[in-house]
Amino acid sequence: MRFMMLMIPKGYEQAAPGAMPDADAVAKMMKYNESLQKAGVLLALDGLHPPSMGARVTFAGGKPKVTDGPFAEAKEVLGGYWMIQVKSKEEAIEWASRCPGSANEIIEIRQVQEFSDFPADVQKAAAGFEEMQAQSGQRRP
Amino acid sequence: MRFMVLVKADKQSEAGVLPDKKILAAMGKFNEELVKAGVMLAGEGLHASSKGARVRFQDGKTTVIDGPFAETKELVAGFWIWQVKSKQEAIDWLKRAPFGGGTEVELRQVFEAEDFGAEFTPELREQEERLRAQISERT
Repeated sequence: MRFMMLMIPKGYEQAAPGAMPDADAVAKMMKYNESLQKAGVLLALDGLHPPSMGARVTFAGGKPKVTDGPFAEAKEVLGGYWMIQVKSKEEAIEWASRCPGSANEIIEIRQVQEFSDFPADVQKAAAGFEEMQAQSGQRRP
Repeated sequence: MRFMVLVKADKQSEAGVLPDKKILAAMGKFNEELVKAGVMLAGEGLHASSKGARVRFQDGKTTVIDGPFAETKELVAGFWIWQVKSKQEAIDWLKRAPFGGGTEVELRQVFEAEDFGAEFTPELREQEERLRAQISERT
């Protein structure tokens, strides 16, 4: 099963545009990334620029409304993620616990929906999605 | 440049209610347009946070909290990774997404190696490239 490990660094919701992690932190994290890779569990990973460089779109009444970042009301934002392939939620938690995280950081673990998780009629309606993912270059386990 | 498009959770997704056929069909059509335009790199849905957990770090110790995480308004229900030429292009695509009332979606630019400039030393760069090459070889 696949899990997403969502890195939530407290304070990042207020980071200025162009804010970068420092080289020491990156080096530590790269070691951790390598350990995930060597164990064969790592499927994808990315870091995200601060929300002050992003945007939010809401769809009240189906009509899109764009708000540029930063988002004053946000108490926590995503800083990056890992996608891992493991055998259980416990294994995902073990991996998250090995991350060189700081006191301001939380890792949220969320199971990824697989096609087979859906009932038959929904699978039928979503037919072609897996193929689409393959075409899009999506890395599959 | 790449953008991560984060679709926020709502009461329905957190209750584990699956989208109906009509929504799935509309989303399928939108996904197909994204793929045809070469924009979509990845897309996934996540199970409700009740099936998840959070890990906190303090003084070298970790604390695990089981979901759900009802107190946060920032829960993610699913995401795409898009390859676009600008933030505006990502916004334009997102405006065409078949979302109903109340849905909130966040666009966030993904870090690329070149964004780090000199901080990203040749050693780190090599390590990163090796990592990504191994991942794509495996999968």
